[in-house]
Amino acid sequence: MFDRLQFLCAEAFTALKRNLLMTFAAITTVAVSLFLLGGFGYMYFRIRESADTIPNKFDIRVFLKDDATKQDVSTTAQAIRGMPGVKTVAWLPKDKMWDRTIQQIPEYADLPNQYPEALKVTVSDLKSAPAIVDQIRQLPSVSAESNGVVYRSDEQRFVEQVLSIVRWVGATAGGLLFLTAGLLIYNAIRLTILSRRLEIRIMRLVGASSSTVYVPFLVEGFVQGVLGGALAVLLLWGASNLITGFVASHSALGHPPTFPLLEMAGLLCGAGALYGLLCSSVAMRTPLRFR
Amino acid sequence: MATPYISFENVEVKYTPHVYGLRSFSLQIERGAFVFFVGKTGAGKSTVLKLLTREVTHTAGLVRFGEQDLGKLPDRKVPALRRQMGIVPQDFALLPRKRVWENVAYAMRAAGHPRKEVRRRVPDILEQVSIGHRADAFPNELSGGEQQRVAIARALINSPNLLLADEPTGNLDPELSWEIMELLRRLNDRGTTVLVASHDMLVIPRMGKRVVRLDAGNVVSDSSGGDDV
Repeated sequence: MFDRLQFLCAEAFTALKRNLLMTFAAITTVAVSLFLLGGFGYMYFRIRESADTIPNKFDIRVFLKDDATKQDVSTTAQAIRGMPGVKTVAWLPKDKMWDRTIQQIPEYADLPNQYPEALKVTVSDLKSAPAIVDQIRQLPSVSAESNGVVYRSDEQRFVEQVLSIVRWVGATAGGLLFLTAGLLIYNAIRLTILSRRLEIRIMRLVGASSSTVYVPFLVEGFVQGVLGGALAVLLLWGASNLITGFVASHSALGHPPTFPLLEMAGLLCGAGALYGLLCSSVAMRTPLRFR
Repeated sequence: MATPYISFENVEVKYTPHVYGLRSFSLQIERGAFVFFVGKTGAGKSTVLKLLTREVTHTAGLVRFGEQDLGKLPDRKVPALRRQMGIVPQDFALLPRKRVWENVAYAMRAAGHPRKEVRRRVPDILEQVSIGHRADAFPNELSGGEQQRVAIARALINSPNLLLADEPTGNLDPELSWEIMELLRRLNDRGTTVLVASHDMLVIPRMGKRVVRLDAGNVVSDSSGGDDV
């Protein structure tokens, strides 16, 4: 078994060495495409993660009618809690709010309380916020004025747009490069088959098993994919370190998260390996058909 | 009557709707025979050998090798079929960057022989075809006859009972051709069935073996020991 594996791997590495330039092109293209896909994927994941904390910052303020009673507050809060996508509902008693204002602006002390009863609503998903706002506006105790429900929809839209751009740019650029990388692996394998046609013919003549003929090409594609993936991880790691260094030097931006090196290595090398195997099996299907 | 080792019954090979490799080709070959297939280019000599190696599949008729019906043999069993025979191609097909012994060793490793066995058997195989003294030479340092010996040595790695040689003397001068034929005869004397496609009419009559003459995919004569039968 080990003896056979040794022969098959030796064959694969001979092939890799023979088309060094094409092998290099395939590996680097896989690396760049996986770098883009992985990089944008990672960036998307991070923004998404941050966006998940944004709803707390982008809370919805609900102001009730001036004549709203405590019972109205309770009923309204309960109704809002029952809406899908709502995370928390907190009552902002008008007396407390007014006391706080007076603490900040003592000149208002002689004025009567200007605030209505209010509720602070946070959502679990930013996307559901506009629908929740519409539903809240329909509730009977909610002020009918335009500022009865205050929600920073522009900011939410901005975050959503950023996420959408990252998703599309990453998917398009990475996807195109991934396709190119696949074609390069395909081409590299085809060139190897061409340059090794004599060996293949000899294998056929002496009755080598199909696996002996096929496996070296699969190993070649696999190695190209894994090396491409590994290179992509190194590039991502380097880029992440650069960004981390920049962010750390601007402490106002907060502490950046650590780059998940092992997870990314597993993911990108695995993706590269699978892709390499796929491309090489497609490349050798026709030329190695039994004759 | 004993079952023939190889038999072709009304075999037809059609390459395209109008191009035939063989037509109504019938022949029986006994175990241990030495048969020459002769004829003009395109007569069907190589096609007969390729039917046995399953490089070509017949479109009609029956081809039997031993107990096997080659028409029903699935592709996945073709390597095992080829391990039962030795194939000597017309162009030698030697790896130019490997030495003589490496060429044979490579083929053995590809055919699935373990390294220890390869180390043990390669010198013996090279001696069988009298090329052991050139084991360390590269193919471009060998004469045509020596290259053909290496190709024959490679065909012997699976200790086959059947040896197929397609124009083994096609690229050789008469003296070297005779040496190769003598080598094939020696292998035949040891019990190997030898089938040779050739148009080397200088050497074939001297061999005194069965000669099957083909023309346009048909058998036009089948002579034994040089006499038409």
